[in-house]
Amino acid sequence: MILLTGGTGFLGAHIAAHLIGQEEEVCLLARSKQGLPATDRVGRLMDWLGVARNLRKYVHVVEGRIEEPGLGLEPDGSAALARRIREIVHCASNTSFAERKRAEVEAVNVDGLDHILDLAERSGCRRLHLVSTAYVAGLTSDFCPEELVRPSAFTNVYEETKCRAEWLAVERCGKAGIPLTIYRPSIVYGHSETGRSLLFNALYYPVRTALFLKELYERDIHERGGRKAAVMGIRLDGDGWTFMPIRIAVDEESGLNAIPVDFFVRAFGAIRENKRTDGIFHIVNSRLTKIEDIIGFAQEIFRIRGISAGPAQEMEGKPRNALEAAFETYLEAYGPYMRDRRLFGSDRAGSILDKKGIRCPDLTYDVFKKCLDYAVRSGWGARLFES
Amino acid sequence: MAPIDDEVLKTASQCRHYAMCKIDYLGTGLCPPGKRQHYVSYYPQGRMDLYAALAAGLIPVTDELVRIVETCTLCGVCDLQCHFVTGLRPLRVMKALKERVEDYLKEGGIPVSVAADEPLRRLRAIVGGEWATNDPAVLVTYANDPFPLADMLMPRYVVLPGSREEVAAVVRLAGELGLPFAVRGNGGSVFGFVFSEGIVLDMQRMRNLSIDKDNWSAAVGPGVTSFELQQEASRHGLRANTAEPAATVCGNIVCTGTFSTWSHAYGTAADGFIDMEFVDSSGRIFRLNDKRAPNVFAFDNAVIPAPGVCTEAKVKLHPTTADEDGLLVPFWDFDEAVALARELGRRRIGLAVAVLGVHYIANFMSPSQDLAERLKGVLPESLGIRYVVVAIGDRLARDAIQALAGTVIDSGLWRTLTLGLPRLLDREWQELVRGFEGGRPPYETLCRPEMRPLIEAALDPSPETLAGAVEQDLRGLYAGLYAQPRFTDMTWLNMFRILSSRMSRRKHMFAFLVYVPLDRNDVINHINAEFARIAEAQGLDHDFGFLTPMDLGKRAILEYDYYIAHTAPAEREKIRRAMAEIEPWLDGLAERTKGVTFLKYVFSQGCSRMENFLYR
Repeated sequence: MILLTGGTGFLGAHIAAHLIGQEEEVCLLARSKQGLPATDRVGRLMDWLGVARNLRKYVHVVEGRIEEPGLGLEPDGSAALARRIREIVHCASNTSFAERKRAEVEAVNVDGLDHILDLAERSGCRRLHLVSTAYVAGLTSDFCPEELVRPSAFTNVYEETKCRAEWLAVERCGKAGIPLTIYRPSIVYGHSETGRSLLFNALYYPVRTALFLKELYERDIHERGGRKAAVMGIRLDGDGWTFMPIRIAVDEESGLNAIPVDFFVRAFGAIRENKRTDGIFHIVNSRLTKIEDIIGFAQEIFRIRGISAGPAQEMEGKPRNALEAAFETYLEAYGPYMRDRRLFGSDRAGSILDKKGIRCPDLTYDVFKKCLDYAVRSGWGARLFES
Repeated sequence: MAPIDDEVLKTASQCRHYAMCKIDYLGTGLCPPGKRQHYVSYYPQGRMDLYAALAAGLIPVTDELVRIVETCTLCGVCDLQCHFVTGLRPLRVMKALKERVEDYLKEGGIPVSVAADEPLRRLRAIVGGEWATNDPAVLVTYANDPFPLADMLMPRYVVLPGSREEVAAVVRLAGELGLPFAVRGNGGSVFGFVFSEGIVLDMQRMRNLSIDKDNWSAAVGPGVTSFELQQEASRHGLRANTAEPAATVCGNIVCTGTFSTWSHAYGTAADGFIDMEFVDSSGRIFRLNDKRAPNVFAFDNAVIPAPGVCTEAKVKLHPTTADEDGLLVPFWDFDEAVALARELGRRRIGLAVAVLGVHYIANFMSPSQDLAERLKGVLPESLGIRYVVVAIGDRLARDAIQALAGTVIDSGLWRTLTLGLPRLLDREWQELVRGFEGGRPPYETLCRPEMRPLIEAALDPSPETLAGAVEQDLRGLYAGLYAQPRFTDMTWLNMFRILSSRMSRRKHMFAFLVYVPLDRNDVINHINAEFARIAEAQGLDHDFGFLTPMDLGKRAILEYDYYIAHTAPAEREKIRRAMAEIEPWLDGLAERTKGVTFLKYVFSQGCSRMENFLYR
């Protein structure tokens, strides 16, 4: 049986569906949330993922908490679980960038892994798959190899703890003789063909913000005379488009390394199936998507004009309006990913994926539109599980 | 008789005796019969108790109860007054009480007349026939309070003296007859301390209040509330350090000494007054500014009785400036918030200063309990705010705080956030704000001046927006209140403290107050952690309350709050067990740690010099 952590998260859920589709017995370690028992949460996800009824017999759920020693399981339950595990896929992660949440992030990303490794050592686990991130590279500005790294600084606590987790896994798996595979995806967005996604942060967030602002000021124009919109220089053009003056600073030659979730799952599957795949694999896009392109796509999709991208030097010293201030704050947090120049080595992953003909789709207008259509349809996640 | 309605009874039983129906804090007028008759029984608070007492069969329909019911015109003033701070709708209780008694009379019921006995005749001879009674309908409203550890105790008489001479005569008579007595300033009580099986003296009629501007002071009778004193001081451009608005000034000084966020600048206990007048247990009248008076300025770390019945206080008044305003400094980390409060103390910056927890902030801002509960979650989770340092000061002080703290919520942003609160809690706005977060907390983004137009547009702050959070039929009234600038004016709200009763909206608040050394974060954190541990062990709701620096930041007063459903016997047992653990622990801590004093021992010694209990 495969123990899967983080199976109710974005990547974990897709991995779960992939493994179940291959008729693997999968045990999801999950917790109750907002009054919904773990089994119900998993069941709801299986529906969303479209896992066929006849395959649900492969799904098992254990309620636990990875932050707690022993995963919060009773000793008997823990022993029974240990006896059945042959493989572990550790996907659980706290993706917060917030420094104030350091303790929570460490508790999941570092301590949680430690607790999983305790279980792995007591079980017959033959391989541990650790889903990490390409951004363990930290503030490195040049080439990022598919190997353990020890950057001098990180952008945020998420990167730092994921990096610490890799070292911890290598050390403990090495001592215990458990083969270890580390997967390092870059930024993952929705399905390239259906646009479906469970998570709407990172790439989605600035677009959502733009749409929120557009709708907010359109309401002001339609319902309250548009005084607040006028103050911001926002207007409705005669052709039904909305003009929003927002300047966003970009760097030339930089962009976003984004991969769709379907590519990630195919790559994960291919690497896992390759029996001699100890080590680290970057699951990344060889082509960066420029912020200017994303802005253009978003403006086209939502009928907005006025958002412009330009070199940071051009904006220096000029006052920001509230809209720009909002985006600037976002870019302070996500800038290193949006204005990325780093080259992620992918020879190891590439050699496996190429053989299977797996390549990362480009983030084209059509793909982006599908993803945003789904995001809007699902209320940016609020209506994900409505029938 | 009309049957007891369970829902109405539930409302009646929830009255916290905060007596906010006895002050005209909304400017909507006072309950007319209460204002005329003075007995608490004639106020909505008393009528709530009367309905509960009838339901429990504690009293029959009496002559006085009939009069109490007849005087109520169901004008509805109480409904908004009570709802604004407690969320309760007392008008339905007033109606039900009236119906029940009227039905009783229609069905031929004869009200019980209680004959006057000899002590009552002598009491009436002192205060006048109208101002002393033994009617159970009055007595029962002085027999109980929401304090869960005190049992009901019916007095034999309730007396409302009109002068210090009458007080002295009543005290002498009580001594002669061997009757114990208790004194209530405003007829209300929340701590279970002012019950008596003999006489309860309600000081409501002694309402003299005069300002001596040349001497920066006010002469205050024992029936004058903090709200009334502050209102009068304000008319003269002055300010007093006052307690919760419905608390009487004299009663509060005698009981604990007046402490508030303003204690940062104005101190507490003996700092608050120039002189006081008492009637001692033998009926002798004395003033503190008399060389022969008992030394009440000393402090004894023990539970001791009050020096007597206070009949007047000459209270200090302080100057104000036209540029006073408030601001909030948000924090995620408690120690950082405490450090700022300490710094403001050391540097003598500002007039009122306090570290507040999210429970306080959420309840102060929210006109409904539902909104408060949601805000309590949103503040830390989405905005990164777990504490704020609230400060009131002049422009120079605020500039200094801004320079020290960096990020502040000024009064303009505070008003926007308050009036736009329902929108602030919208999921979409929440997620948007959360998404701003990186290495710095989201509140920093929110507080950037250039973000203000966006926040204004998103929250659409207005009295109507905020009023949308309360029941439909109250929205117009709420919109009218919040259209008045004072209801979002941090200085006014802090001075008059009208929002403090909102703390108990969901459950009765059980406040623990401890003086602490402000340079000892380890001690402060230990106290908070221990209060939290004990509450958790007993399954009680709890939260940090506030901390105000005192005496140049050397000491502070810390409040930690437990919340209990005071009518539930199980909760009563929990708090009893918690108290059994808290008292010895705090006694031991105070014994070992300089600067720690449990307020329990300041009770009845509120006239002492604060130095005597801060630096033992």
